[in-house]
Amino acid sequence: MSVVITPEMVAQVVVSGLLAGALYAMVALGLALIYGVMRVINVAHGTLLTVGAYTTFWWFNLLGLNPYLSLLFSMPLAFGLGVGLQRLMVRRVVRAPELSSLLLTFGISIALVNVLQLFFSSNLRSVEFLTGAFVVGRVAFSKSRVVACAFAVAITALAYWFLQRTRFGKAIRATSQNPEVAMVCGVNVERVHLYTFGLASALAAAGGSLVAVMIAIQPEMGQVYTFKSFLVIVLGGAGNYPGALLGGMFLGLVEQLSSLFLTTQLNEAVAYVLLVLVLLLRPTGLLGGRAT
Amino acid sequence: MSRRIRIAWLVLVTMAPGIVLRASPGWAQGPIKIGASLSLTGTYAAPAQNQQRGYQLCAKQVNEAGGVVGRKLEFVLYDDQSQPATAVRLYERLVTQDKVDLLLGPYSSPVTEAVASINEKYKMPMVAPLAAATSIFKKGRRYIFMIQSPAEVYLEGVVEIAARKGLKTVALINEDTLFPKATVQGTLELAKKKGLQVVFVEAYPKGHTDFSGILTKVKAANPDVLGASTYFDDAVAITRQMKELNVNPKMYAVTVGGDLPKFYELLGKNAEFVYGASQWEPELPYPGAAEFAEAYRKEFPGADLSYHSAGGYGGCQILVEAIRRAGSLDGEKIRAEILALETNTIYGAFKVDADGFQLAHKMVLFQWQDGKKAIVWPDELALGPVRFPTPPWNAR
Repeated sequence: MSVVITPEMVAQVVVSGLLAGALYAMVALGLALIYGVMRVINVAHGTLLTVGAYTTFWWFNLLGLNPYLSLLFSMPLAFGLGVGLQRLMVRRVVRAPELSSLLLTFGISIALVNVLQLFFSSNLRSVEFLTGAFVVGRVAFSKSRVVACAFAVAITALAYWFLQRTRFGKAIRATSQNPEVAMVCGVNVERVHLYTFGLASALAAAGGSLVAVMIAIQPEMGQVYTFKSFLVIVLGGAGNYPGALLGGMFLGLVEQLSSLFLTTQLNEAVAYVLLVLVLLLRPTGLLGGRAT
Repeated sequence: MSRRIRIAWLVLVTMAPGIVLRASPGWAQGPIKIGASLSLTGTYAAPAQNQQRGYQLCAKQVNEAGGVVGRKLEFVLYDDQSQPATAVRLYERLVTQDKVDLLLGPYSSPVTEAVASINEKYKMPMVAPLAAATSIFKKGRRYIFMIQSPAEVYLEGVVEIAARKGLKTVALINEDTLFPKATVQGTLELAKKKGLQVVFVEAYPKGHTDFSGILTKVKAANPDVLGASTYFDDAVAITRQMKELNVNPKMYAVTVGGDLPKFYELLGKNAEFVYGASQWEPELPYPGAAEFAEAYRKEFPGADLSYHSAGGYGGCQILVEAIRRAGSLDGEKIRAEILALETNTIYGAFKVDADGFQLAHKMVLFQWQDGKKAIVWPDELALGPVRFPTPPWNAR
């Protein structure tokens, strides 16, 4: 009862995979940044994505604001939230044993999810905007996913440019490579941590604003993205920023292709088997080494 | 000795307010405590909240009418967050700590399956109004009773109409959990009986959000009929992605989830022509159904009214009727009364076999037409014709 797989079908899932992958990459870049700079495993990352999704929903629902314009609100909001979390709590576990940051961010995540539940209830919300698809030949490009992908690529490129070219970006990379030396060279490490957490949260929230148009919004929607982001940064090599981008695309493709060639039931299994294999065989990620 | 007396005093003093309150006029004894956990948050929140409203309205109306066996009904409700493991803990707590007199079921088949071992252990009869997977009731359990039509016949109407319209091929996709799997199994057999060919079947894991892969395969299989057996958020996501990927079956049915008013609210015009199965609709001519719908809308203005609401109410009605007939809260007596009961609630017919499996209740098929659920099957309950075939997405 299976179907014959044609080249068009492969093209279709490759397109879907890459569209999804760009988004995974952007969200995971945030997680990679935090881990790279502070050695903090941020389990609350997906929850910040949820915050972004709700921001978009409310702006759209109450004021009819274009969901993509709401990025202008969700990203600064999450940036502020991230800076606040860093300043009040996460600061205390920077470069502490990983278990401390794991426990702390896990707690933050549970608290945030419950706050969202309290204020917004667990009812499913959705932003009905840009449904349907562009059809090119026999391949359909979901409109909302194409636009999300474009934004994700642009935002990721901007973040990447910021890391590579600006003074502060260089300070972030320096801190990630060696905090002591960075400090000796006059980098204000505390401030780097603060803004890194803010930036990472803004990237997660951008992901939230973009998926708000595609899937149902509820307080627990972000958890899946936390897991996926971990997968992505392990695939890409923890702390390796270009690796996170590659890892995101790779995960998107693996999910979709395994769903086509095997069964959809197995696609998560395939992704996690891959995770174990990478950890066993190439613990430094697909690209190898820390090329920050 | 004096220490014991002191403790006795302490107990008396702390309990006194309770005793005084309970002695309020009109009620000879304290209330009958009925325990349940519902998925008030998480994936199943929307339908489970409706079920909760059904329970609440039932208790309110029974109490206004003088209670049952001279006592008030009082619910002890918890939130299991859509997690079967949490529900198991909560039911254990209801029985051992809250010492409830009776239990009512949670929402959904997986959660009911999980807690069914708890009420069985304590020999407490439990009417499970929102569990539709046959297997739960066919494991030799003695204390669990079904209200709904089983999962296997949810898409019977779709198969019937497809056969009548001369359609040939069917594709089925489902979330890989108990209830949706049972629906697919049942539909496979019904389709075989009607001479339809099943060209594609695939399950996807719970929590899946991107359906491009599976729908690409459905599109390649090009079925006349697509049946999706799932829960609410997936029902919305699948319908959306069908449009994105331009998947165009002549009939598309999605259950559960397609039946909630929210489905149409979220999808708008894209929900038109979609078929869904329903255990109950307010228009159905069951005794008390219209009055129930009216009272519900008054009690919970603006809230969803769905078969989950009515199921909760109907299940509660059955329990109340059984208490009344048994004249006591004895588990064995109530069990015997439920097994012997043959009645109509606002939810439709009720009669179970010796296993507690539902035999009498009837499933209906509706189609979204101009924003309304039009009942199109079975013929004796149908309120209008089907809009057939479903036009392709680009021709709507």
